[in-house]
Amino acid sequence: MVNEYFQFLDYGGTTYYYLFEFANFSFIGLLALYTYKIRLINLNSLIVWLAIFFTPLIFNYLLFSPYLFGDQFLYSGETFLLKTGNQSQYQMNHIEFAGKILGSIPLPNYMTVTSLAFSNKLLLFLTFLWFKRYFDDENKILLFFLVPSLLLYSSLALREILIIVFSILFLVNLIKDRYLLALIFLYPIFIIKMQMFAFLSLYFVARTIFRAHKSIKHAAFFILSTLAATFILESEILSFVNTYRLGFAAENFRVDGGGTSYAAWNLYGQDIAQAIKIDTIQEAIIKSIINLPQIILIPMPWNWSSIFHVFQTMESIFLVYLFYYISMKNKNYKNNEFILLSIILLLSLMLLGLIMANEGTFVRYRFSLFYPFLLAALYIHKNKTVVSKF
Amino acid sequence: MNILKKIDLKQKLLLTKSFVKEYLLVKKSIVAFGVSIVLSLLIIQISVPKFYISAVLREAKPLENQGISIGSGADGLFSEFLRPTGGDGDYEEMISNMRSYIVAQRLWNKGWGSIVFGNGQLDKEYFNQIPKNHKFLDKLGAWILGYQLHEYYSAHDLKAYINNSVFPQKDIRDTNITVSMLSSDKEFAIKFIEAVILETDSYAKEYLIAKSNEIISASYEQLAVSKNSAISSALASTINSEYFKIATLNNDMPYKVYFIDPPHSSEYPVTPNIYAILISAIIISLFLSSLHSFILKNKDEIW
Repeated sequence: MVNEYFQFLDYGGTTYYYLFEFANFSFIGLLALYTYKIRLINLNSLIVWLAIFFTPLIFNYLLFSPYLFGDQFLYSGETFLLKTGNQSQYQMNHIEFAGKILGSIPLPNYMTVTSLAFSNKLLLFLTFLWFKRYFDDENKILLFFLVPSLLLYSSLALREILIIVFSILFLVNLIKDRYLLALIFLYPIFIIKMQMFAFLSLYFVARTIFRAHKSIKHAAFFILSTLAATFILESEILSFVNTYRLGFAAENFRVDGGGTSYAAWNLYGQDIAQAIKIDTIQEAIIKSIINLPQIILIPMPWNWSSIFHVFQTMESIFLVYLFYYISMKNKNYKNNEFILLSIILLLSLMLLGLIMANEGTFVRYRFSLFYPFLLAALYIHKNKTVVSKF
Repeated sequence: MNILKKIDLKQKLLLTKSFVKEYLLVKKSIVAFGVSIVLSLLIIQISVPKFYISAVLREAKPLENQGISIGSGADGLFSEFLRPTGGDGDYEEMISNMRSYIVAQRLWNKGWGSIVFGNGQLDKEYFNQIPKNHKFLDKLGAWILGYQLHEYYSAHDLKAYINNSVFPQKDIRDTNITVSMLSSDKEFAIKFIEAVILETDSYAKEYLIAKSNEIISASYEQLAVSKNSAISSALASTINSEYFKIATLNNDMPYKVYFIDPPHSSEYPVTPNIYAILISAIIISLFLSSLHSFILKNKDEIW
């Protein structure tokens, strides 16, 4: 069932809105009941997942306006347009592709901006079913799916869950030496999020070409080669990085007169464009190291403007602690696979820190980068107990 | 084969059958199904059907710079006025005008206030005195805080009505503008949307004519005192161009926008969506009855 006039009709907050979205909740709730019945999940999981499935009904319109995450309308509008047989409105690959995937989830209603959130929930639930197979204790894995940011982003019509799901599928398959499968899951990331593709490709190259997961020597050789490559391809890399730095700076640009984003940047941004550009690789490395703590912990206290930001910072600290805890457990920090995963995560965070501008956007980006690596670390902890070789 | 063995398809099939038997094909679910049908029919019955009324417009090409040369001096001086319009500027100007009090007032004077808020009488004495029914809480608030509520509807209310119900939209890189509204009264909405668009366009045109008249009058004043031949020549050219502009604007042709598709209504109401309501109600009822059965069967484990 699709609302053919989505772009004109907003059911937001009305009885119809809750009727249509409660039906979507009921549908995936029935699926959860069924999975419990066929013994795919335990009772705890059933109760928790029913609660997780309910969250989209709480966030949009009830806790905050959906315009707080305005991109939701972009993805919803595109999905409904495609589902009604129309052409893509934005002609942008990542929106169209995300719309196609989220729209292919068989939900009873695609009527409001929140409908895609239920597609996200179902995708996340399927990921949970797949991921928990590798662990003995389902309840422990369940806790990892209760991270507040995950609950929030999966309750919105955004592409974050798609990025997270495909990244988890890529990482776990790569760690399991299933390279072809990993490549298949890398392709959607290439379309949905270029930066993430770059980070994960680095891991793929490190593992397949440098065999950096085999020993510390291999890992060191990979790092040195990467460093050498950055100097050899300096102009190309800097052009790529500067494009993103300027793009995000323009998106986040505000002037006193009330002008915002690209429109304001077109008028007044050129003056500071030169200051934003990075001229050498050395400068890029120094800047990325300086920005590293910030990208890990954003939103920083001086950027807090609501109670949610305080929780987000606390969550950031907690997630870092969790990664640290996993690394300490069973001396995983000596595990080559774990070392390589940590190196890639660190490099990715440094790169993300280098292009960081808007706090709100980068909290989301940081989470969709960090979370799959956290689950991958968990997978290594449980399934790969290879001790470091020198 | 190994995968099938791992999944244990046979057992899963049996469990699926038992799920359907225990939760779906039970009396409770059938009753809930019936109740959901009745409830959804009730919702549909009390819903007001709303039609989608839309008009597609295209920005008219600018009339400026046609047929008259004004000389290099004046060209520089008045390039701001003569610069060809286009892009999103025209669209933004159209939206501003559409949402302005002036357009609302012009529509009000044509009796649209009476059609929207009253009984449609076009008698000025009537439509300037359509009583406004305030909510009890508004009245109470006014009484407690000691301020006056408006007794009659005015052009400000019509402006608010236009802003809340008529939606112009132009997609990125699109050249067409869609103006739409939802209404239960198709005929009224078609006429109203047309009136709003035409009045907006007409106001833009009249504003420019008034501006040209002012420029002409000011230029004549300057011409009378000017002793520099170059300035006199530029002023004369300006006067010519402004007269030309008035001549091109003083007609019934559209100025900023013209209709590609005149206002028309959807054949069927876009809300309520009967099928979506029915399907939603059925799914909700099935889920709630299954959940109830599940809780009853597993209450010891759950608690």
